[in-house]
Amino acid sequence: MKVQVKVIGPLIYKAGFSEKDFDLDPSTTVNDLVEMIGIPAERPRIVTRNGKAVLPEDRIEDGDKIAVSPIYSGG
Amino acid sequence: MNGWTGNILRVNLSTKTHKKETFTEEFAHKWVGGRGFAVKTLYDELKPGIDPLGPENKFIVALGPISGIPAPNTGKAVVAAKSPLTGFYGDGNLGTRAAEHLRKAGYDMLIVEGKADRPTMLYIEDDKVEFLPADEVWGKGTYACNDWIYSKYGKGIGVLNIGQGGENLNRFAVVRSLEGRAGGRPGIGAVMGSKLLKAIVVKGTRPIPQADPAAMKALGSGDLKKVGQIDKQTGWSIQSTTGVLPFCNEVAGLPVRNFRKTHHPLAWQVDGERCNNARVATYGCPTCTMRCGITVHDKEGHESELDYENVALLGPNLEIFELAQMASLNYLCDEYGLDTMSAGCTLSFYADAIDHGAVDGDFKFGDAERAKELLRLAALREGKVGNLLAEGSRRMARTFGHNSEAYAMQVKGLEVAAYNCKFIPGQALSFGVAPIGAHHREAWIITFEIRHTTRESYGPEKAAKVIELQRIRGGLFEFIVSCRFPWIENGWPLENYPKYFNVVTGLNWNLDDMWRVGDRIYSMIKLHFLREFPQADREDDYPPRIWFDPSNADTEGPIAGKYLDLEKYDGMLQHYYDQRGYDRRGIPTKATLHALGLDDEAAAVRPYADLTD
Ligand code: SF4
Repeated sequence: MKVQVKVIGPLIYKAGFSEKDFDLDPSTTVNDLVEMIGIPAERPRIVTRNGKAVLPEDRIEDGDKIAVSPIYSGG
Repeated sequence: MNGWTGNILRVNLSTKTHKKETFTEEFAHKWVGGRGFAVKTLYDELKPGIDPLGPENKFIVALGPISGIPAPNTGKAVVAAKSPLTGFYGDGNLGTRAAEHLRKAGYDMLIVEGKADRPTMLYIEDDKVEFLPADEVWGKGTYACNDWIYSKYGKGIGVLNIGQGGENLNRFAVVRSLEGRAGGRPGIGAVMGSKLLKAIVVKGTRPIPQADPAAMKALGSGDLKKVGQIDKQTGWSIQSTTGVLPFCNEVAGLPVRNFRKTHHPLAWQVDGERCNNARVATYGCPTCTMRCGITVHDKEGHESELDYENVALLGPNLEIFELAQMASLNYLCDEYGLDTMSAGCTLSFYADAIDHGAVDGDFKFGDAERAKELLRLAALREGKVGNLLAEGSRRMARTFGHNSEAYAMQVKGLEVAAYNCKFIPGQALSFGVAPIGAHHREAWIITFEIRHTTRESYGPEKAAKVIELQRIRGGLFEFIVSCRFPWIENGWPLENYPKYFNVVTGLNWNLDDMWRVGDRIYSMIKLHFLREFPQADREDDYPPRIWFDPSNADTEGPIAGKYLDLEKYDGMLQHYYDQRGYDRRGIPTKATLHALGLDDEAAAVRPYADLTD
């Protein structure tokens, strides 16, 4: 399935990209994806799907726009 | 009294006199410093109803017990006065060497009274105070003024100054220091200008009294290193605050087109990655190992120091997506000494009002060149348009009528910081109840709302989170006077701050003691508000009305069709009041004030307004 992934803030320097399209296995979870793109497990982050927060165990779905961001605290 | 110098420097510009006063241990323990000292002093010394731009107003610089001590990010000062923008207590903090120098000169607070008879630079060196002419730099921008001061005294000196905005009494003029530092959003720079006070220069040469200086030095310098190392690991300062822009864009929380839109496909052009890529220098505050001032070249080749608020409000909010052009507007605000946030919201309101036929004019969203010219007019109060813009969005809306106040993006007169709460109820509450107006400093709960609760909720958990963060961000960091970024963005444990406080003062406080001081300060700001506006009501704690307007809902994207529900917002506001011990107007009750040790302050309200039991 096709998924668009956007990485935000300093996490782009861990992932090595800021936007990329992926072809993923249908059983992929949010956590699998985050691990796959090289964000260290201990790094606090928030993941959103089409602008809404998702849980680590949630399944990614075809056509999702996923954003992976550090936990910002708003300046 | 360890941890405090115990002294206040009171300067009168009208009589060119100064006095060194002392304060009691009780005052120090009750108000601690910074915002606490400022709020109490202005409450006791200013008569309600005075003209904020008249000589009766007082300009305050207040420090905290860890100001000037080598520990994480302590190079900050609080500046405060009665605000010409909002009409009651206003303040802000900024990074400045003046913090350390004032403390080393022997003062925890500077109070400036009266009005000079000519443009003046106040020079303070320990016990010496001089009133020097500043005619040479009156009419010049903050960078030229800084250079003039550096050429006389060298770069290590403490400087606070204003630009043409403050001189011309623009109501959102700020106080400036160093290359890119600014503070005092609610027009505190205009208060300096009204006193013909162009600059304050401070040199201090004495040690700051501390209970255990050796222990503090070891602890503080070790922790400074650790914070720097953590920042290297997290990488936060690579994009600094500008990194949050794509997050806001993703979750539909970015201000675009005077907050009418919440996201934009071109926002990436001014995001943290692009800002960092364009970096030509990095600026920061003294005593900081995670310097956040990304500096880029603007369209005209000036160095312009960016942070998220400036980028979002002078960029997407004006539909300007060319980084160099946005940086030019930011540079001009800094040069003129204008608050970038209020400037962005005031310009966007003007374009929106023209768009909606509330006023005739030639400014359109996206027109960067005209925006530059308008900033100049606003700073100089030149012509009808300049005088109009210099008043800020709320006064403009009241001039225009046509229900335009609904989309003047402000609360209590202070323009909203760069988070679009069209459908972020808890953050809308945070802006609504921010005590000095819609400042982002007091509480920011967007990630919490999206991650730990539902965005749709208007429940008590959001009010509780706002209070928790107010105590830390608007309380602790503002009265101990230190930058909040090590904690908020790099996870530096909060418990370190009472530790620093205890080592310098020899006291044994914990975080609960700190929260109590914070609650006292918040209550006092409310009393300031009530004394100035006896008709104060809960509607003063509502965010801009456009966020409640169904016709303003997004038509696509993550919050399509959504808008804030007024009744539910009001319910959430009541949760906040209940948890804070405030009455239905949003004013602390007598019982709350009594519990905080504020009976005398409560009594001082009586001639002006009533309190609830
Ligand atoms: S993190 Fe930024 S605002 Fe805070 S002290 Fe450092 S340079 Fe100043």
